[in-house]
Amino acid sequence: MTGSGLAVTTSSGLAVTTGPGLAGITLSGVTVTYPRRDRPSLRGVDLHVAAGERVVVLGPSGAGKSTLLHLVAGLVPHSTPAEVEGTLVLGGDEEHLDLSSPVHERSALLGVVGQDPSASVCLPQVDAELALVLENRAVPPAQIGPRVGAALEQVGVGDLAQRQTARLSGGQTQRVALAAAVIGRPGLLLLDEPTSMLDASGVRAVRAAIEEVARDASLTVLLVEHRLDDYAGEAGLDGLPGRAVVLDADGTVVADGPTAQVLREHAAALHALGCWLPLEAELTALSGKVGDLASGAHDQLLAGLVPCDAAPRPVSAETGVRSVLLRAHGLAVGHGRQTVLDGLDLDVRAGQVVAVLGENGTGKSTLLHALAGLARPLAGTVSGQRPGMVFQNPEHQLVAHTVADEIAHGLADPAPTVDRMLREHRLEHCADRNPHQLSGGEKRRLSLAAMLAHGRDVLLADEPTFGLDRRDTMVVADALRSVADAGGAVVFSTHDLRLAAEVADEVVVVGRGRVLASGSTHDVLSDAAVLDGAGLELPAIVRWFVERCSSTAALQSALQALGRHPVAGSGALEPAPATSAGVRA
Amino acid sequence: MSVLQPDALALASPLARRNPTVKLALLFVVSAVLLLVLDPMTPAVLYVLVAGAVLLGAGVRPRALLVAQLPFVAFALGVLLVNMLSRPGEVVWQGAGLRVTAEGLWVGAGLAGRTLLMGLLSVAFVATTDGVALVTSLHQHARLGAKVTFAVLAGYRLLQQMGAEWQTIRRAQSVRAPLGRRGRPRVGLRGHAASAFALLVGSVRRGDRVAGTLELRGLGDGERTTWRPVPLDRKDAVFAVVVLGVLGLVLVGASAAGVLEGPGALF
Repeated sequence: MTGSGLAVTTSSGLAVTTGPGLAGITLSGVTVTYPRRDRPSLRGVDLHVAAGERVVVLGPSGAGKSTLLHLVAGLVPHSTPAEVEGTLVLGGDEEHLDLSSPVHERSALLGVVGQDPSASVCLPQVDAELALVLENRAVPPAQIGPRVGAALEQVGVGDLAQRQTARLSGGQTQRVALAAAVIGRPGLLLLDEPTSMLDASGVRAVRAAIEEVARDASLTVLLVEHRLDDYAGEAGLDGLPGRAVVLDADGTVVADGPTAQVLREHAAALHALGCWLPLEAELTALSGKVGDLASGAHDQLLAGLVPCDAAPRPVSAETGVRSVLLRAHGLAVGHGRQTVLDGLDLDVRAGQVVAVLGENGTGKSTLLHALAGLARPLAGTVSGQRPGMVFQNPEHQLVAHTVADEIAHGLADPAPTVDRMLREHRLEHCADRNPHQLSGGEKRRLSLAAMLAHGRDVLLADEPTFGLDRRDTMVVADALRSVADAGGAVVFSTHDLRLAAEVADEVVVVGRGRVLASGSTHDVLSDAAVLDGAGLELPAIVRWFVERCSSTAALQSALQALGRHPVAGSGALEPAPATSAGVRA
Repeated sequence: MSVLQPDALALASPLARRNPTVKLALLFVVSAVLLLVLDPMTPAVLYVLVAGAVLLGAGVRPRALLVAQLPFVAFALGVLLVNMLSRPGEVVWQGAGLRVTAEGLWVGAGLAGRTLLMGLLSVAFVATTDGVALVTSLHQHARLGAKVTFAVLAGYRLLQQMGAEWQTIRRAQSVRAPLGRRGRPRVGLRGHAASAFALLVGSVRRGDRVAGTLELRGLGDGERTTWRPVPLDRKDAVFAVVVLGVLGLVLVGASAAGVLEGPGALF
């Protein structure tokens, strides 16, 4: 422990014999500073969560949401060194733990589900993973088997007990992790963006499992989430925990109260900070009016965004027909000898953005690798100039020790290009920094800049907005669009149907080993049967515009205008005591 | 190499029912004794006996057993070639600037046979041993700490993910590499070093998170129970006595027949 100003409330190492129902959290004046950072990640946080309360922590990227959760779990400062000031009390009046309690001691009180499925489960087999928790608590062996079975049943994966964890999908892994988090019957469940790396069906399954677990009213739930739009889903504000705590970019609590009220009063400020909000809150931020989409309160604002006569994007004046830059014919791709996706024909023309949509495991990434010439197709051909490609995880592409060198990598004459790319992609401030130390948004911009520096006609992008906040997502959307508008072409895969509707001229829907549909974005997204068959869920706002726009160009124009619409009112957040929602004692 | 992943058939075999710690200990003992044997006949006899036992008692398909041994075959061939070409002694063949000696062939075949036998034993061990059972047994019977044993298991899971991760990194980094003469990306030594570094950074970070998850599962130094204890019973004792007995008989037989040679054969 590094905290010098630490006020220890009890002696450490107190034996905690837990049952459910004693898991309140009290933080007083907590400030957390990581080594070699010039400013704290959390600043003077006072927070009391009573046993049985359900709380969502929101805020822009880098606001310290995960730090708060890791502090409660003990990973900060016991696994990740940090300077911690203030006090933390976990538990009830009679028995409690504090900042000095190590992680394994706190594990009796709390369960955690992290965001990365590849790190949220540790052992090779599912039942062993769950049994580990009970073994570590010295539960009699005869009770372990039945409890493992019951915990897996509860989250809907009772049939996976004997499975190898390496063979699970992301959604299955997160449900196993959830079962492992609650099998010890902790009083407190900490959820760190549990659905952020999943596709739509994975999000639905994990959300249902969390709801099932949370039926135990004595369970305290602390959720950190930046994609509140996905997490809340169709249920909107009702799909979120009852209480919301907002952290601003400084790591200070700026709002705390009932979720609906906090989101209503602070929608504009949160939207301006780049947070992903549930649709209702986003619309409130823009129109200043209260109500969900179906209420019609925002119809005037939205109808104003639908263009009367959106012309299709201009066709090259000289040729009349846009030239094909990349062509795939009869393409089959897969892993090893196993075919994942078969029978794909695709012409990518200059000026076009094409979105590839489908659930996880349908071969979207493998397809992009084949188009890029990085994976040998099992059948068929790809023709055209060598395309560029950005990968889902920008870190996979990093080769250099500074941002400027990263952009220069592979260029014959880097000097003029590097400066232009640094400027165009807002990377000048970090030109000399190590790429691995950048924020998620900066890494993504760097990977795009480094690829675009090669000036290839076609850019392929695998989930290019994955994990980004709203502001960075818009930056990427603009970058993709401008590649096509400058005469190039883009093919990208995504789970974000709103992004696809906003930038793509055409979409290709893949699933069950083949192409389920392809065509203009507006036509394909209008076809409910196709989307249903592919396991895709059209966000309500996209559906609203699809029904009212007559063409893809109109749909793009409307969604672009919505994403860039100024917020109503000032959009400034005041510190917590000044808000009417106030701080709960 | 399917046999290196235990499959259902192999894990239901008689050999799979033996205690993993006992099997591991026997693997070490037999290998240690073999280090002292340098003639080719003794390992050859043992190889035939072990191969028969593995095919009958380990549920491993013959083809899978052969494929899994390929790396050991390659290594054994190397050992044989080096010895027969470089060891001084009576020349039995000469030509193309090379000469083969009788002593070289004899010692080389002995070392190669021992390599193949150790390879076969290792393959049989891996194919019939469940990772969780091994770790549980090492904790139960070899008194290895729970923190160490479960860290090993978590490391195994990380290792499983590394292959795919490496492929993705190689592809991601070759996108910007210049094309070679055949139109394929040209990545030099530095390119591979950069990929290895990216893999290392990613693995360290993930390993850190997995370690955190293990702690959150309550893995500490306190009292713990074992859900499915690995049995250690009289059958394991019988198994150990039979294995060591057969080894002893073969050694005694080889000695009586005058073929057994020890490290003295090297000099």
